[in-house]
Amino acid sequence: MAGLSMKNSAIRGIVSAVPAHSEGMDGLAQAFGEEETRRIARAIGVHARRISRPEQCASDLCFHAAARLLSELGWAKDSVDAMIFVSQTFDYICPATSCVLHGRLGLSKTCAAFDISLGCSGYVYGLWNAASLIASGCRRVLLLVGDTVSKCISPLDKSTKPLFGDAGTATALEFEEGPVMHFELGTDGTGYKHLIIPAGGFRQRHTTEGRSQREDGNVRCDEDVYMDGAEIFTFTLREVPPMLKRVLVSANWDLKDIDAFVFHQANRFILGHLSNKMKLPPESVPFSLEEFGNTSSASIPLTISHRLRSLLQSKSARLVLGGFGIGFSWGAVALETGPMLLPELEVVQ
Amino acid sequence: MTKSEFYEKLEFILELESHTINGSETLQDLEGWDSLAKLSFIAMGDVEFSTIVPAKALLACKSVVDLIKLFDGKII
Repeated sequence: MAGLSMKNSAIRGIVSAVPAHSEGMDGLAQAFGEEETRRIARAIGVHARRISRPEQCASDLCFHAAARLLSELGWAKDSVDAMIFVSQTFDYICPATSCVLHGRLGLSKTCAAFDISLGCSGYVYGLWNAASLIASGCRRVLLLVGDTVSKCISPLDKSTKPLFGDAGTATALEFEEGPVMHFELGTDGTGYKHLIIPAGGFRQRHTTEGRSQREDGNVRCDEDVYMDGAEIFTFTLREVPPMLKRVLVSANWDLKDIDAFVFHQANRFILGHLSNKMKLPPESVPFSLEEFGNTSSASIPLTISHRLRSLLQSKSARLVLGGFGIGFSWGAVALETGPMLLPELEVVQ
Repeated sequence: MTKSEFYEKLEFILELESHTINGSETLQDLEGWDSLAKLSFIAMGDVEFSTIVPAKALLACKSVVDLIKLFDGKII
């Protein structure tokens, strides 16, 4: 959908939470070889990733982020009208993880709670939904966005193992007269097979086959993430530049008006090429993937928490946020936001 | 772009010595023609020819000659 303008929603704060355990690239040399590991690290721009403990879910990271956000904002729990959980690494097949989180956070029984199953584009879709809820009468909305993709990765797949890390985030939105968010959203469902975990849902409940070498040379099973990097890259080149141009037109902004373009942290190569193609000033494109890898739906708010604290804590700034990937699904939002609460990262043991 | 300039681009992508590629190679022969090299090749096509090579078409290529054909007469 093109040119959606949502009015009267303000972001009050963002908290991002990461697992305490950090994994560097050295440990991958045994599986992929030292030279190949160095080459991969150089191309994707990842030096370390935060990896969740086996029993630690995306909802746990989001819970810590949300509890801190509510506490630091001084929001009473019964003042939250709706909570959205965006993730593709949920707690259970059912019920919705948002209901589990609602109980853990002790939110009011009049609070609406629901899940959205999206990855790379999930934060933008979450903001759109939150702003839509506010437009429909909610005053305060909690948007929890996070993933623990590391749990679905084959240790012998060099296209995914060095790339993905875990994180959970919480964003607080509130009714305020004035602010406008300009959205561009899109989908190309014909690309769904190019980034997928084939088994574990209801199309294929389980796989009986163990990990084996696949056509692309990587070793994995159908319960692991499969990613076709070339398909993802060509889709990005095809869809993202026009999306960003359209959102700038909607907001009536030029490139020079933007303080930061915060993209889903796909990988350094893709973002570098995209930035050059769009002629974006390098200083306006922050990265967090060096330290955290590609954290799926959490990567945009994590990058804001990690890289834009000094900008957004004290004043407002013009941001363009762009998420694109699994689905294929994409979304961008142009918004003027801040000052807001942006504490240091929450590290969860 | 001339064919020799194209070979130079390919050599750069594959981190090969200059004048290693002469156009007769199959992609299987080329050391380093892997998923990262394919991303670099797609990026090169976008920058040099404003062409987004479809991933499926790239996957179907068996030789350097096939790669040249992807750019529809823009390499002479």
